[in-house]
Amino acid sequence: MARACRGAHTALFAMAIILASAPAQAQAQAQGDPLAGLSPEKQALLSDAAALERFGLTPEKVKVALAGRSAEEVDAYASGLLAIIEDSRFKAGRDPAEIALNPQARGWNASTTLRPKLFDKRQRADGPFSLKRYMFQKAGVPTFADAPVAIRKEDLVAGKVEVAFVGVPLDFSSGWRDSKHAPMALRGMDGLVGADADGGIDPGVLLSIADYGDLAVDYMAPDRGMDHVRKMIAEMASLGTVPFIVGGDHTIMFPDVAAMVDVYGAGKVALVQFDAHADAELDGDHRLSDNQTLTRLLAQNLLRGSDVTLVGLNGRDAGPAVRQRLAAQGAKIVPTATIQEKGWRAVADDLVAGLSKGPENVFVSFDMSVLDPGDAPASGRPVPGGLAMREAIPMVRQLCAQTKVVGFDLLDTAPILDPTYVSRMSANYILHACLSGIALRKKKS
Amino acid sequence: MPSLNAIAAWSMAGIAAVGAAVAGDPPYRAPDRNAGTPAMQTPIEDDMGRPKPLELPKDVEAKLAGIDKAKVDFLKSGVTGRYVEKDMLFDRIRTRTVEEISAYIDAMQALHAQVEYKAGRDLAAIPLDTASPWFNAWKARRPSALDPRRDPGPVELTRYVGGFGGGFATFAGAPVAMTPEDLKAGKVDVAIVGAPLDMGSGWRNAIDGPRAMRMTGGATGNDMYSMINPNAALKIVDYGDIAIDQNSTERSVDHVREMVAEIARTGAIPIVIGGDHSLEYPNLAAAADVHGKGNVSVIHFDSHYDIGRGRVHLLDHGQPVYRVLSEGHVRGSDYIQMGLRARGPDLETFGWMRNKGMRYHTMVEVEKWGWERVMARALKEARENAKKLWISFDVDVLDPAFMPGTGTPVPGGLTMREAQPIMRNLCAQNDIAGIDIVEVAPYLDTSYKTALNSNYLLNACLAGIAMRKKGLKPGYLNPVSVDHGLDAYYGKKN
Repeated sequence: MARACRGAHTALFAMAIILASAPAQAQAQAQGDPLAGLSPEKQALLSDAAALERFGLTPEKVKVALAGRSAEEVDAYASGLLAIIEDSRFKAGRDPAEIALNPQARGWNASTTLRPKLFDKRQRADGPFSLKRYMFQKAGVPTFADAPVAIRKEDLVAGKVEVAFVGVPLDFSSGWRDSKHAPMALRGMDGLVGADADGGIDPGVLLSIADYGDLAVDYMAPDRGMDHVRKMIAEMASLGTVPFIVGGDHTIMFPDVAAMVDVYGAGKVALVQFDAHADAELDGDHRLSDNQTLTRLLAQNLLRGSDVTLVGLNGRDAGPAVRQRLAAQGAKIVPTATIQEKGWRAVADDLVAGLSKGPENVFVSFDMSVLDPGDAPASGRPVPGGLAMREAIPMVRQLCAQTKVVGFDLLDTAPILDPTYVSRMSANYILHACLSGIALRKKKS
Repeated sequence: MPSLNAIAAWSMAGIAAVGAAVAGDPPYRAPDRNAGTPAMQTPIEDDMGRPKPLELPKDVEAKLAGIDKAKVDFLKSGVTGRYVEKDMLFDRIRTRTVEEISAYIDAMQALHAQVEYKAGRDLAAIPLDTASPWFNAWKARRPSALDPRRDPGPVELTRYVGGFGGGFATFAGAPVAMTPEDLKAGKVDVAIVGAPLDMGSGWRNAIDGPRAMRMTGGATGNDMYSMINPNAALKIVDYGDIAIDQNSTERSVDHVREMVAEIARTGAIPIVIGGDHSLEYPNLAAAADVHGKGNVSVIHFDSHYDIGRGRVHLLDHGQPVYRVLSEGHVRGSDYIQMGLRARGPDLETFGWMRNKGMRYHTMVEVEKWGWERVMARALKEARENAKKLWISFDVDVLDPAFMPGTGTPVPGGLTMREAQPIMRNLCAQNDIAGIDIVEVAPYLDTSYKTALNSNYLLNACLAGIAMRKKGLKPGYLNPVSVDHGLDAYYGKKN
């Protein structure tokens, strides 16, 4: 919709220039204020820069458009805008307040119901189990980090699993969609195994890691099913496991952070969001979607503004109005431009220093859009001019090494947008950077 | 698997019910509100795949003698199949104590209660945020007063006299229309409109279908088979895109239905470029709104049968045909399906389709009888109906070699040389109510061919519509383009 609106107002602007250049209209304009004959309400709307912004207009553009128009036409223009504001509001009786589902459907909850052990075909002892046939070969069936598989929470407990990968293949990016295929694609790509050259450790050796499979989502509704994801992630965290969640679009950040709050308590969780977008749009008609995740977390008091650090804001969805609003709520904002200006090392040190003031438990949400499309074209909402892998890898590693990271998500990777391996490998290297950081922190303690 | 005869007995009531609904309705009524209204009731005869009663072996039944009748009845109902295979269940009963068996059935009943819908516990609707001041903004129409005044009618975006394009990509290179007044003033024959609904179950990206087809050539110009240039013979417009709520198919299709009906009411033929195949439902509902329920027949090109039903969501791109039939917009006997070859339907559902009178043509039929005969049969069936015809064309009916850019591709499909003639002939031989071309997902195709082929199919159909307008006979091929005519090689000199 944003794209369409921009196109429309560009066209309007172009026409307005043509109109303004006509001498007859210039004369009409000179005769006086075209808004003079309007009601106070309409005058106020057409003079209110903030209200007009929604329509891609400014008072100046309105003046140009209305120059030379008759009083009736000027009134129709204002009435048209007022009608949009009025018609946009929900009206009971006219607008359905909800989306009907089919209660006749058999197996309504089947996809999110966990199979009790009693109904396993074959019994096995608890604990992560390997899918490898050979001692020194990768498994034929790909898993995250080539790790053994855990199916139930008992497996995580028995294996004292420190980090568990879990896929949440929700596919509702407001940009290009395909993030449902990210968990599968990243399991099947290299880059998540082995030593970290800069850190000097191998997280696969130092940490107990498991692949916890995918969580069920509803492919026809982003918000329906988030309670299940929240419950499952909270359960993982409550066992002392750090969940590494591979989305899925950025809607997933809501259940992820909510789950952390469920486990650690409100006011006890800090969010570091690497993202070109703030995901803080207001006034959504849906209860939840990728571009309003942060808004809903704040509105439900799961986070305070001061618990939020936004890293890598860049491009059109991170304009001054959003930044000012979030900053006023206490959020710390580090746009990409700041990282380019100060260098990643200074910014990372600053981030760590800021987080040391609390809350102690840090959740890192990493949206692929924060990376430059050169390093990660397979991002649902890419923005050019983003971070380079040479900046992102050390920043993420340092953050995970020097703060208490209790959870990490990597969101909105859309593999179909990149026919090469580059995006998938970049994504895995980001995950590996945080794994390495966590391993480094463990080694030091 | 039940025999087809067995199926016939229980599905006749359903046919009668749909028939009655079709006969009793006035020709036009306001669109149903899909969202927020109570869900439709699926008749028992449409509930295929429901659990079949489980017959217990004698020794198992004997072992259950000491167990509550309600629990035994639960086992016999057959719903246990979701949780345990029957042979494993029987073995368990044979080898365990009565107490263990009883506890096992308790656990299964508890699991079953958790799995099935329970009012109060499970939300039967997805709530929206009605406090949003921009609740309807996604479909708010731009007031005409915002733009400089212009006469109603199609707007040319070209600058030059000589036909050089203006630089703006439109469907079939056509001028643009924004309102029904434009369509009426321009006496428009065909309005092509995008509906970029992106909710497919496979790979998504149908959001870019309309854009890719506008930006790729192939829809414009002379059709050599008929030697007709539809752009010259017909008044075609690009009607822009229909607003879509990308997070809700239900909300989107309500609006699509209004918009498609808006086009059809002006007398123009709507051609809807998707978007995913959920669109078949609002398209046919709109056609029924305008032409009357039961007055439109359909030919559905697709590798999938799309009669899914009984799911939690009332509509997705696997269910549009069921929704169309169950709401009575089109009779089952007025449905032709072409190119089916995906995993479904199962034999039970094939039986259901037969009982509804649906004319399905699978790739199995093409393998056995050859394309020419199957095409002739489908064309005959379409023509015999003498009703308005809607063509719902899912591009995955084509082989992925020709159409890789689609969300749920299935190998073994039609070639372009099979698809073009049937599209041209269908459009030439029938009173077209509308067309949709859906499931174009260009990002799955690093080449241009998905968009090009989709546009050539559109062109073939536009040529067909023009042929009919000119009164050319079915199966017409222009004699000059058929052969050089310098001798009587084919028996008769052209």
